Amino acid sequence: MTATPVGTESTLVIAPMIAVLVAAVGTLLLGRHSRARAAVSLAGGAGYAIAVAAIDWYIILAPDAPGIATYQVGDWPAPFGITLVADGLSAFMLTMVAILGVASLVFSTRHLPGGEERSYYFPLFHFLALGVTGAFLTGDLFNLFVWFEVMLMASYVFVAYSGGPQHTRAAFWYVSLNLLASAIFLLGVGGIYATTGTLNMADLAQRLAEPAAYGLEPVPVVGLLGLLLSVFAIKAGLVPFQFWIPTAYRAAPPQITALLAGATKKVGIYAIIRLSFTVFAGAEVAVNLPLPLVDVSIAGDSPLPFVGAALFLMASASILLGGIGAVGRDSLEGVFAYSSIGQVGFIAIPVAIAATTTAPGLRKFAIIAALVYALNHTLAKGLLFLAVGTVKSATRTSRFADLGGLASRSPPLAISVFVGSLALVGIPPLSGFFGKFLVFDAAARARAGPVIVLLLVGSLLTIAYATRMWNQSFWGAQTPAVEAATIDSVQVAVLVVLAATIVAVGVGFEPVYEFAEAAAEAALDTEGYVDAVDPQDASELTDSSGGGGGDH
Amino acid sequence: MTAVVLAATVGALFAIGTFLLLRRDLIRIVWGLAIISQAANVYLLSMGGIAPATADSVPILAGHGEHVPQTADPLVQALVLTAIVIGFGMTAFALVLSYRVYEEHGTLDVTELGDRE
Repeated sequence: MTATPVGTESTLVIAPMIAVLVAAVGTLLLGRHSRARAAVSLAGGAGYAIAVAAIDWYIILAPDAPGIATYQVGDWPAPFGITLVADGLSAFMLTMVAILGVASLVFSTRHLPGGEERSYYFPLFHFLALGVTGAFLTGDLFNLFVWFEVMLMASYVFVAYSGGPQHTRAAFWYVSLNLLASAIFLLGVGGIYATTGTLNMADLAQRLAEPAAYGLEPVPVVGLLGLLLSVFAIKAGLVPFQFWIPTAYRAAPPQITALLAGATKKVGIYAIIRLSFTVFAGAEVAVNLPLPLVDVSIAGDSPLPFVGAALFLMASASILLGGIGAVGRDSLEGVFAYSSIGQVGFIAIPVAIAATTTAPGLRKFAIIAALVYALNHTLAKGLLFLAVGTVKSATRTSRFADLGGLASRSPPLAISVFVGSLALVGIPPLSGFFGKFLVFDAAARARAGPVIVLLLVGSLLTIAYATRMWNQSFWGAQTPAVEAATIDSVQVAVLVVLAATIVAVGVGFEPVYEFAEAAAEAALDTEGYVDAVDPQDASELTDSSGGGGGDH
Repeated sequence: MTAVVLAATVGALFAIGTFLLLRRDLIRIVWGLAIISQAANVYLLSMGGIAPATADSVPILAGHGEHVPQTADPLVQALVLTAIVIGFGMTAFALVLSYRVYEEHGTLDVTELGDRE
């Protein structure tokens, strides 16, 4: 990459958020006219995809691209205003979400759960996308909290959407857990403000790197990082915060569950990576925790070893619990929900490896592995949940007892689900193979023998439940529900396109790897991040006479 | 002194909220969540810093349009306002949801709602 010009400002950064916001408001105003509503939604989705592609090209991938761009909301300078930052990591996550979001949107226009008169589906969909996009782009810790809440509010309504007994029950538990998580988020945010005096991520990184220069006592930051880690683990669904996932995933409409598994889960992982590596990695806080029974101590001169140890525990438990839980389920969503819990463990293991190692090459490689695996999971799990939507809208059921012989009923659907399952298992030449290979490679380079055994066990469990799911619902004789099914060809076409994307990502893996490498470099490049945002001191602000304010 | 009072308040609110969160009645659970949100808000406000109030440091007594020696931290107040509004929206939704749960299940007793799965 060429030298990064400092402080690249660009309105392109806010373009995806504006596209989604306009679509949300437009669909809200067009409440009664279902055809116009669908058209505005699709236009909004297309606009979003174009904006994300523009960010990818002009800011990250083009030969003379700056690699990072910022946008100050209201023209207030950082750290006093809200900064939006689009760097490699944000762009990578946005691209994943854009692919899945457009697929889910097309799905939704074909079959609106609850019928055409329910006019709030599309505005809520776009608000959910807005929350996810805002969380990926923001450079301010409290703004992250606000976008989390926007995303959560839309998902609360979606979990309760069908209004039946199990949906309202699931929604109530989901709401309670997340209200508690929001309160804990506020505890972490308040503590960080009191300790460091700022909430802007770049300013935070700057201050924690030289606490003496700013007169700070940074020690409480470790515990506060732990609080924030628990909140993000709830969003990502890591053990011990995973128990809301099967219920909520079963209650929400399947195309929204695809977004919940593919997008909101990744927001949790993104927040963990962003805060651990870009913001807190350079903090001058030594950590030393000798473990009594094992003769090891978690030690280092930044909070990262603590994060790594916690993530190792949570990810290992997730892999085992997700895999074992998925083998025994009796419905499609049940298998996929527990599978999501397991797969997030696979994503978190390389992040833990990156946090505990001190070799910069291994750290970058492990983050690349996590990002590629996250991409694979978004595409594959998104495809599988959308397929559940197709099956449910065609046969009215998704229980294994009522399904069978779907492969002979609709070969394209079966092929797409087959590709999705193979991507989860990790068969070449699909994207899942590279994801799994990179994760195993990262564990091997870190010489973590027990981790490799754990990953092997997790992969075997994945094969087990994927095979069982396929046998129960796609092979065998056609059940009465399947025989009478009317399968929507547009939905199946979307599934085939997603399956083709999975194959394309696997076959043409070079550019994907380069994108992930740019994202990992951006995640680790704290100085580049701080330089691009360029937070000013209060003294610099009073020097520039009268300027620097917003024009309203 | 103020610091002790604020800390005790936050602690008491969290305790009451947790106690209510573990009750059997759905509405008590919603109240518990609301109180815990408010406890987090009081905590956030006190993170702005507590300074002893003298006639020289309280802005309205010392300033009167001239240069003010020291003001309360406005940032935490802005954060708390945002958090209050978000909390109020969430509480409203939680209350309507508990009404809907009552309509669907015929009971507000958490132990009778059935398994999470």
